[in-house]
Amino acid sequence: MTAATMTGRPIRPSHAKRDMALLGVALVVVWAAVTVSIDPLKALELPGGIGLVFYKMFLEEGPDWSYLPKATSGMVESLQMAWIGTAIGALLSLPLGFFGAKNVSSGLASNIMRQILNAIRAFPEIILAIAIMIPLAGLGPVAGALALGLHSVGTLGKLTAEVIEGIDPGPVEAARASGARPIQIQRWGVLPQVLPEIVAFWLYRFEINIRAGAVLGVVGAGGIGFSLQQTLAFHRYPLAGTAIIVVVVATIVVDTASGWVRRRIIEGAGGRSAVESAEAMNSPLRADSAG
Amino acid sequence: MTAGAATARRPTRPRRSPVVPLGIAIFLVISWASLSKDFGIGFDLGKLITNWSNLVTVLVTGSDSPARRGLLIPNFAFLDQTFEPMLETFRMAVIASVLGCGVALPVAFVVSRVTSPNLATLFGGRAVLSVVRAIPDILYALVFVAAVGIGPLPGIAALVLFNVGVVAKLLSETIDGVDVGPIEAARAGGANRTQTVRWAVLPQVLPNYVAYSLYTFELNIRASTVIGIVGAGGIGNLLFAQYQFFNWSNVSLIIIVLFVLVVAIETISIFLRRRLV
Amino acid sequence: MIRFEDASVTYPGGVQALKGVTLEIPDGQMVVIVGLSGAGKSTLIRAINGLVPLTGGDVTVDGVSVRHANARQLRQIRSKIGMIFQTFNLVKRTSVLNNVLMGRLHTTGTFRSLLAWYRPADVEIAMRALERVDVVEKAYVRASNLSGGQQQRVGIARALAQEPTILLADEPVASLDPPTSHVVMRDLQRINRDLGITTIVNLHFLDLARMYGERIIGMRAGEVVYDGPGEQADEKVFRDIYGRSLTAEDLMGEATTAAAAAS
Repeated sequence: MTAATMTGRPIRPSHAKRDMALLGVALVVVWAAVTVSIDPLKALELPGGIGLVFYKMFLEEGPDWSYLPKATSGMVESLQMAWIGTAIGALLSLPLGFFGAKNVSSGLASNIMRQILNAIRAFPEIILAIAIMIPLAGLGPVAGALALGLHSVGTLGKLTAEVIEGIDPGPVEAARASGARPIQIQRWGVLPQVLPEIVAFWLYRFEINIRAGAVLGVVGAGGIGFSLQQTLAFHRYPLAGTAIIVVVVATIVVDTASGWVRRRIIEGAGGRSAVESAEAMNSPLRADSAG
Repeated sequence: MTAGAATARRPTRPRRSPVVPLGIAIFLVISWASLSKDFGIGFDLGKLITNWSNLVTVLVTGSDSPARRGLLIPNFAFLDQTFEPMLETFRMAVIASVLGCGVALPVAFVVSRVTSPNLATLFGGRAVLSVVRAIPDILYALVFVAAVGIGPLPGIAALVLFNVGVVAKLLSETIDGVDVGPIEAARAGGANRTQTVRWAVLPQVLPNYVAYSLYTFELNIRASTVIGIVGAGGIGNLLFAQYQFFNWSNVSLIIIVLFVLVVAIETISIFLRRRLV
Repeated sequence: MIRFEDASVTYPGGVQALKGVTLEIPDGQMVVIVGLSGAGKSTLIRAINGLVPLTGGDVTVDGVSVRHANARQLRQIRSKIGMIFQTFNLVKRTSVLNNVLMGRLHTTGTFRSLLAWYRPADVEIAMRALERVDVVEKAYVRASNLSGGQQQRVGIARALAQEPTILLADEPVASLDPPTSHVVMRDLQRINRDLGITTIVNLHFLDLARMYGERIIGMRAGEVVYDGPGEQADEKVFRDIYGRSLTAEDLMGEATTAAAAAS
C-alpha cells in the first residue's frame, strides 16, 4: 500500500455505489424468483410441453393447408387494421408533434401537449380497445384500427416532437430573417428537415402495429388474433400451425419491405452500392480466418 | 440577345422524382381499400356517431353496484384485490427481463456483422431472430398456455422470447456501429476472439445494453396486461375477468393502478438511462 | 530479426499495396518509414503482425513465417509485437488500466479474461508500463477523459504491457499537435534505446523522420525506393521518395523541432 503511493500510483477507486446497486437488483431478482407462484416441476415440463405443441402443429399431420384462405384473410384484416391505425396516428400526430416541440410552439403549450401525448401513450392498445373502441364501434376490426390509431397518436406525436426539437435552427432563422410568416417557416424551414425521419417512424410504427393488432383479435377486435386464439383454445393444432406460418411470413415480408424503404428514406435515394454492401459485411474480427 | 444568353445558362428544370407522388398514390389506394366495406374493414363513421350512447353507458352505466357504476367512477374498494396480481406482474417482468436480456447478450454478438464468427452463422442467426421477432408476444403466450396450462410460467416464457427478439436486435445494431479501432488493437496484441469481444467490444456497448434492458422491463410491465388476457398470469388476467363481467368500475381502477405503475417505472427507468448513456 | 522476402499484398479491390518488398530489420533498430499516403507504409507495417494478409512472398519474424502461421501461431507472433495506432484505438468507455491490460490478454486464459480476473503480476506489468510513459496517475480514469497526447501514451503503455520485442507505430503522431508529437516520439526513442525493442514507425513529416530515424526506409507505390541511415537522408532523397518537390506540409515545423532539440 505505502509502496504504491510512493511511486505515485493512484489508489483503486471504490465502486461501492455501483456494487450496492447491483446487489439491490440481485436481491429483487431473487425475491421475484422465490415468491413467484411457479411449481418448479412444471417449469421442467415447459420445454417438453412446447416441443409437443410444436410437434402437433407442424409435424404430426403437418399444418392444415385447407385453413390457408381463412388464415390469410384474417392476416389481411390485421394488416389493414395496422395500416388504418398507423394512418390515423400519422395524420393526427404530425400537427400535434409541432405543438409539442419546444422550439416551435411556446414552452407552456408544448408542455401541455407532451403531457397529453404521454397520457395517451400510457394506455396499451388493448385497454383502449375494450374500454372505448369496442363500445363505440362494436366488435370487429374497426374498433381494433381505432385503438391502434389512438395509441399511435401518442407514440408518434412524442417522437415527432423530439425530432423537431433536434433540428438545425439555421434554416428557421433564415426563414424568419427573410420575413416569412409562422406557417411558412414551418413549411419551408422545419418540415423538409424532419419529414424523412418522421416518415421512417411511421413505417416503423406500422411494423409494431401489425404485432399489436394480433393481440386485439383475442378480445374480438378483428384480425388474425381471433383465429389464433380459437384454434389454440380448441386444440386444433394443425390449423393453428397454418395460422402461425401465415403470421410469420407476412410479418417478415412487411418488416423487410418497410425496413428497405426506411433505409432508402434516411440514407437518401442513392442507397448503398453492391460493393459498399459487400464491404459492410467485412469485419476485422473475421480477417484472420479469411487469410 | 444578352437576356437570351443569360437564360441559356440557366439549367432546365430537372424532371421531378416520381417517388413522392407515387408514395402518396400508394398510400391513398391502400387506405381507401382498407377502409372500404368490400375490400377492407368497412369503416362507417355514421355508426360511430349512432353508437355514441354505448360509450356513454360504459363510462357512466347508471348501475348501483359499486363494481359497475362505469369507467369514469373507479371502485377504490377493489384496490386491495389488485395488489397480488400487480405483484405477480412485477415478478414476471423482473424474471423475464433477466432471462431474456441474459440470453440476448450472446445472441446479439452472433447476429452483428462486426462480431459474428462467420457469414453462415451471421445470416443463419439473423434468419432465426427475424422469425422470433415476427411472432407477437400474445401468440407466444397462447402457444405456451396450450402447452403447460394457465399461470405465470407460460407468461414468463412468452416474455422471455419477446425480450430476446427486442434486445438482440437493438444491441446487434449498436454493435454494428462500434469503433473497430480497439478490435484491431486487441488482435494486434494477440488476443483471441472471445477476449477481443469481451475487452474491445463489450465495454463500448455495455451502457446501451443496460439501457435496453431497462426499456425491456418497461415493455414487460405493459405487455403483461396483454398476455394475462389469455391466461398467462398477472394483472391482465384480473383485468380481463372484470371486463367480461362488465365490472367497469373495477376495470377503471385496474387501469389507474396500472397507469401509476407504468409511469413510475418509466420515470425511474428514464432517470437511470440518462445517467448511463 | 524481421525479414521481408519478396512480400506482396494485393487488396480484394485489385490495388497492389506492396510489390515484392525484400528487407531485413535487425534487432534493436529504430526504423522510420516515410512516403506519401497510399505509398504502402501502413500495409508494410501490418504485414509484420499479419493484420494484413500477404498475397505473395513471405515475412518472417525471428525465423517464423507470418504468412503460413495458423490462427494460434499468429496470436503467438503478435504477442511479441506491440502496436501503436494513429487514432490510438483505445476503448474510450473503460478505464485506462483496462485498456493497458488488453496487452496482457495473450497470456491470460479466456475464462479469466471474461471475468476480468487478471493475475496481480499482470496488473503490476500494466502499472509499470503506465509509469514508463508517465500517465500512471490516470490508471482508473475513463480513457475518454484523457487528452490526445495522454491517450497515445496509454496506447504505448498497452503495447509495452505485452513485453514485446518489436514495436510497430502507424502514424503515431498524425493526430497530435507538434509539441505533443515530440513528447511521443521521444518516448518511443527512449523505449527503443533503454529496452532494446526494435521500433518501426510510419511518419510523413520528414523533419521528424530525420530527427528520430536511425534508419529511414522510403516507400513509393508499394516499393522501397530508399533505404539508408537517417543522417544521409537530405532534401533530394525526400524529393525522390515523394516524387515531387517538398512543401511546407511535409514538415512538422522548424521552430518546434529546434525547440524540441534544444530541450
